[in-house]
Amino acid sequence: MSAQPTTSQDPAARSQQFVPVEGNAETTSAEALLVAAYLVMWALLIAFIGFGWRRQSRVEARLAEIEKAVGASGEARRS
Amino acid sequence: MRSTSDKIFWALLALTALSFFVLIAFVFLRAPTAQLPAGGIAQKIFYFHVPAAYALYVCGTVGFFGAAAYLVRPTEKRDAWARAGVECAVVFGLMVLTSGPLWAKKAWGVYWTWDPRLTTLMLNVLLYGAVMILRAFAGAGDAERRFAAAFTVLGTLLLPVIHYAVKLWGGIHPTVVTQGGGGLQHPDMKMALGLGFLAMTFLAAVLLWWRARLAHAQSRLLAVEEIAAARGLGVAS
Repeated sequence: MSAQPTTSQDPAARSQQFVPVEGNAETTSAEALLVAAYLVMWALLIAFIGFGWRRQSRVEARLAEIEKAVGASGEARRS
Repeated sequence: MRSTSDKIFWALLALTALSFFVLIAFVFLRAPTAQLPAGGIAQKIFYFHVPAAYALYVCGTVGFFGAAAYLVRPTEKRDAWARAGVECAVVFGLMVLTSGPLWAKKAWGVYWTWDPRLTTLMLNVLLYGAVMILRAFAGAGDAERRFAAAFTVLGTLLLPVIHYAVKLWGGIHPTVVTQGGGGLQHPDMKMALGLGFLAMTFLAAVLLWWRARLAHAQSRLLAVEEIAAARGLGVAS
């Protein structure tokens, strides 16, 4: 079986086969990749701080609740 | 009134913000663009990517010492530092694992390749992630903490392997700064990397300190809840 040589100008070849090429220039925008990298890094950091902040708020709320319960129990004993 | 440690913490936070402001301005306004095979303007990711990897090492080392100390003699503070180290290491690890592929797309033409350094880093982050999941779902008993501490020690022992992976097994990961690389060929590039290391050091210190305090507060809260429940104070969570 012999393959017929084709060129990129041949419209049929463009839709019927794909030929791998070596050293194809990377076409993704470097600026877009740079911005995406910085956005992702900041998003990760902000998410980490956000989750931590929420956890801290829960701990503080729970401590306030216990303090209140301890205070109420002390008053009940005194009276 | 704020304690001395609070004042130091806020001063450190201010320094971190300032250093990041200077770093971003320097990287985008002053540091030159690198050659196209290195990614062109995408190479500027390097000034955050490499310092984030360094911060991962710092946090992993803190977690290692906290965990090892906990295994020797368990205390709440040691466990808190072990926990903080692992959590911060995961965040910095994810920063490295997301920024690296975006740069690689431009420099190598692919987002990911199973290069030894990339693979060992991902394994390390997965190990630390497993420790976090274990701590989140397996309870806060001494046995669970010891198990998590042992895993943390094991995970950190992988850090030198990541660092020397390129030397040990080759691969395509750049060795610009280490292992005989040509180095950064412009003084502003060196300055930008130095600023990156400084900013990430401050950030790692702030995050570690904050998370260790939070982890310690959570442990103390659990202890207080147990005491309150034992006294019948009706504070069940």
